[in-house]
Amino acid sequence: MSLQALRTADPGRTVVLSGNEAIARGAMEAGLAYAAAYPGSPSSEVLASLAALARERGFYAEWSTNEKVAMEGAAAAAFAGLRAITIMKADGLNVALDFLTSLAYGGTNGGMVVVVSDDPGAHSSTKEEDTRYLVRASHLPLLEPTTVEEAKEMTRWAFDLSEEIRLPVLLRSVTRIAHARGSVELGALRSPPGEARVDPGARFFTTSALHPLLLQRGAAARELFETSPFNAYQGPADARRLIIVTGPVWTYAVEAVALLGVTNAVGVLKLGTTWPLPERLLLSHLGHARDVLFLEEIEPFIETEVKALYAQHAAKLGLIAFLGKASGHVAGPAGPAVGELTPEIVIAAVSALVGRPFEPRTPEFRRKVEATALPELPARALAFCAGCPHRAAFWAIKAALELDGRDGVALGDIGCYTLGSMQTGYFTLKTVHAMGSSVGLASGFGKLAALGFQQPVVSVVGDSTFYHSVTPALINARYNDSRLLLVVLDNSTTAMTGHQPHPGTGRSATGEPAPPLPIEAVARALGLAVEIQDPLRTSDTVESVYRLLRTEGAKVLILRSPCALLPWVKRSHRATVDPERCIGEGCGCARLCNRVFSCPALVWDLARGRARVDEVLCAGCGVCVDLCPRDAIRLEEVA
Amino acid sequence: MDARGVEVERGGPADLQARVLGAGLCTACGACLGHCPYLKTLGERVAFIHPCPLPQGRCFEVCPRVSLDPDRLDGQIFGSGPADPLLGAHLSLHFARALDPEVKQRGQYGGVATALTLFALGSGAADAALLTGGSPTAAPHPIVARERASVLAATGTKYSACATLAPLAPLLRDSAATIAVVGRPCQVAALRKIEARGEAAHRLALVIGVFCFWALTPAFYRFLVSRADLARATKMDIPKEGGVVFSVNGGAVRVPLDEVRPFIRPACQSCFDPTAEWADLAVGSTEHDPGWNALVVRTARGQALLGAAVNAGLLEVKPYPAERIPILRAAVRGKKLRVLDALDAGRAEAAYLHLSPERRAAVRAEERAGA
Repeated sequence: MSLQALRTADPGRTVVLSGNEAIARGAMEAGLAYAAAYPGSPSSEVLASLAALARERGFYAEWSTNEKVAMEGAAAAAFAGLRAITIMKADGLNVALDFLTSLAYGGTNGGMVVVVSDDPGAHSSTKEEDTRYLVRASHLPLLEPTTVEEAKEMTRWAFDLSEEIRLPVLLRSVTRIAHARGSVELGALRSPPGEARVDPGARFFTTSALHPLLLQRGAAARELFETSPFNAYQGPADARRLIIVTGPVWTYAVEAVALLGVTNAVGVLKLGTTWPLPERLLLSHLGHARDVLFLEEIEPFIETEVKALYAQHAAKLGLIAFLGKASGHVAGPAGPAVGELTPEIVIAAVSALVGRPFEPRTPEFRRKVEATALPELPARALAFCAGCPHRAAFWAIKAALELDGRDGVALGDIGCYTLGSMQTGYFTLKTVHAMGSSVGLASGFGKLAALGFQQPVVSVVGDSTFYHSVTPALINARYNDSRLLLVVLDNSTTAMTGHQPHPGTGRSATGEPAPPLPIEAVARALGLAVEIQDPLRTSDTVESVYRLLRTEGAKVLILRSPCALLPWVKRSHRATVDPERCIGEGCGCARLCNRVFSCPALVWDLARGRARVDEVLCAGCGVCVDLCPRDAIRLEEVA
Repeated sequence: MDARGVEVERGGPADLQARVLGAGLCTACGACLGHCPYLKTLGERVAFIHPCPLPQGRCFEVCPRVSLDPDRLDGQIFGSGPADPLLGAHLSLHFARALDPEVKQRGQYGGVATALTLFALGSGAADAALLTGGSPTAAPHPIVARERASVLAATGTKYSACATLAPLAPLLRDSAATIAVVGRPCQVAALRKIEARGEAAHRLALVIGVFCFWALTPAFYRFLVSRADLARATKMDIPKEGGVVFSVNGGAVRVPLDEVRPFIRPACQSCFDPTAEWADLAVGSTEHDPGWNALVVRTARGQALLGAAVNAGLLEVKPYPAERIPILRAAVRGKKLRVLDALDAGRAEAAYLHLSPERRAAVRAEERAGA
C-alpha cells in the first residue's frame, strides 16, 4: 500500500496509486467523515487504505459485519450531514440492495458514495455480476472511471453530486481499475467538518409517494451528466464510425484505433456517467454515426440502453448498424458477455468496425513463442496453501462422510474454503452460492426427513462468513427444529480477502482493541450445542463430524486453527520424509500423500521415486504424518 | 492356482467396493485395515475415504466376503479329507468352563475363551492377544492384550461387528510378537486368508473362534440409550429362547427378540459359517447350561493347548452331551440351508461363497436327514 503517497498533502503533486487507493484519496479530498465496508476482492483495499489513515485524518472507518450494515452506517452519517462512503464487491451490493433501493426513495443529506467493484472474468469471485442493472433498478446515478486518476476525481466529485441531488451516488470500479496502478495528480486534502446533526425537520422515509421525487432527482443527475467532463469525445466531428466505450476498456479502444491507423475515421465517445444516460450527448453523436461499436465490461448494458434510445429517435437518425455483444462482434473465447475484455478482443472488434485486418505478430513468431515459453510453465491448480487448516478440515469431513456411508452432502460457502469444491478440498463441497447460504440450505435439508430425505448434511462456513450472515439461518434452524450440522472453519481472520479483522478477532479496522465475540458464545446463546476441535487433529475431527452427523437437532462444530499465513503464526515444526521408510511406487499407497492429499509442500522426487517435503513451503502442521502407512513422514521441532 | 489347481481369484479395491463394501456385505472383520491408507473404519463400518487406484490389492484377497472357498480353507488348515458339512472339521466336542473364579464370573458362560487366552499368554504360547473390549451396551473396540488385566477388560461376548483385526497388520509389521486371536467366524476365515498370503507365517499362535449366528449394527447401541434401565448392564446374552437378557445389578432384564431383530447386520444373513470352522478352537453357548461353554476342538494345535490348560488347572472339560448335539447341528443346518438356498437362487449376497458340488450335496443331505 502506498500509504506515504496517500497521505501526501501537496496539491498538484503526481504520485502512483492503485485504483483502490485513488478512490480512498478522492474521498479524503472530498472531506470524508465516515467509511464502512465488508471486504471483498477486488474492492478490499479501499477501506484498508482509509482505515490506515482514519485516526490521523480524523474520520471514522470500520470493517462492518456485512455490506448492508456498512451501507446503513454510511447512510446514518450522511443523514447527519457528513460525507460518507461504503465499499463492496458486486456480490455485496446484492446483500445491501434492499436498503439501497429504499434509501433512494428517502434520499440523503450529506454526500454519500457507494463504491462497487465488479470482477469481470471473476478473477477472485464466484460469478461475473454486472452491478449496473441493480443501479438502474435503484434509480440512482452511476459513474464509471476509465483510469486510476479518473477514479480519484470521480470519487471526489461524486460527493458533490450526491449533495446536489440528495441521493447516494454509485461508482462502479472493475478489477483493472481497482488493482491497476497509475499516476494521480493530488488535490488538497479536506478534513471532516467537525459537526454533525440531523435537522429536526428532516425525514428519511421510504414511501411510494416519493417515487416521483426520485425520478426528478434522477433527471437532475441526467442534466448534469449532459455536460460532465467525465464524458468526452475524440475523433472527427462527423465520424461515420463511432465507438461508445466505458471503463478501462477505453484505453484499449484508443490504442486499437491508433494501431489500426484510423484516428481520422473513427470517433471514440468515452462515457463516464453511465446512468442515467446523457441522452442529448449520445443523440448528437448518433446523428453522425452509421456504424456504432459498444465496448464495456461484462454485460451489454450501455449497448442495450443506447439501442433503446436510438429506437425512440430512429425516424430522425436514420439507419445505424450496431456492433457489440449482441451482434457477436465483441466476444472472448467463451462468447459474448462472458469473461473479461482484453486488448486482443477490443482490437478485433475495432478491426471489424473499420473493415481493416490486424495482425500483431506473424504466425511464425507466435509459434516460436508458444514452443519456447509454454512447455516450461508448470500447470498449477488452485490449492490451499501448505499448512492451511482448511485442507485438514476437508480431509476429515470427506473421511467422515465416506465412513458414515449415507451419501452425505457437504454444502459450501464463500471464502478460501470455497476451494473445498475442487481437488485441493477433495471435491467435498457440493454446493456454493452466496455468503451464509449453506446454512439456510442446511436448515431446509434438515426438514426433509419426513419427505423421504435420508442423507446427512453438513454446512461449511468460515468465521467471517459466520458473522456476516449465518445467524438468521441458525435461528431459523433452531426455531423450526431443523436437523443441521454447521462446521465453522475458524482461522481467526478474513483470510481470502487479505486478513481483515472481524468481530471475533479482538481488534477493529483501525487497529484498536475491540471486545472479541467468540463464535461459540453466539451459537450457545442461540441455544445450540457447540463443540470445538483443532482441525489439524484429523482423527479427532473425523470422529466429531461422524458423531455429530448422527445426532438430532441443530449443532455447531467449530474447527479452530489459525490461517498459516497470519504473521503471528510461527512455524514450530517441519515435516520430513524418511527416504529409508518411504518405498515410493513400491508401496500400495499409490502416492496418497503427494497425489491425493495435495499439499504444495509434499512433492514427488522423480529422480528418487520417493515423496519429499519441500522445506521452504512446509508449515509444519503435521497433518501428513498420519497419512503414511509406513510412518515415513516425521515431524521435528525447528529451532 | 492353489494346491488343487483351482484358480485363485485376484481383485482390487474397486472390486471390494463394488462386491462387498458398497453392497452392504462387509462384516467389519478388520482384516483389510492397517496397511492401506485409503481404508478406514468408524462405527463398525469399513470404507474407502478416497478411491484407491490400484488394480489389485491385499484388501480384496484377505476379505472373507470374496471368493470364500471352504474346501480350500479345509485343505489349508486340516489337509484334505472329508469334513463335517455342518460343524466343520473337528477332533472333539466338549462342554468346558474356567476354574479361575474371576474369569468365570466375568467371562461369558463358562469363561472358556478368556481362560484359554490367559493361558496362551501366560504359557508363552502367544506374546499378544487380539481381543474385543468394551461393555455390552456400547460399541466395542479392538484390544491388543499382553497381560491379564487387558484380557479381563475384554471378557464377555460383544454382539456387534467390531473390527477386531484392525491392529493385526501393524502388529505383524512392527513387532515380532506371536499372536492369539479371539474372533468371529468371519474373522477366523480372514485370518486364514492372511496366513495363506504368507503374511503371518509362524506368528498366529492360536485362533479361537466364537460361535456367531449374526451380529447387530451400532444402531442397537443407540436403541439402548433410550433404555435407561440397561445403562449399567455388565453382560448381554441371546439365549435360544427368552429374548435378549441383560445382567444388571445381579438381576436379569429381558428385551423381546423382536425389538432387537431389526438391528441385525444385513451382511450376517449370508454367513455360511456360524461355528468358526477354521479356528483351532471354537467356543460358544451350550444353549443349555449357562455355567459352561460349548467347545469345539478342531486342530492338533488347539488340542494341545487345551490339554495343557486343563493340566494347568485353568479349565475343566467334559464330553458334549450326545443328546445336545442334534440341537446344535439343527441350528447350524438352518443357517447354512438359508444361505445355500440364496446361493442356488443366484442371489448376489451369497455369491462370495465358492461351494463345490460335493459340499452343496453334503449340506443338502443333512437337510433331508434333518427333515
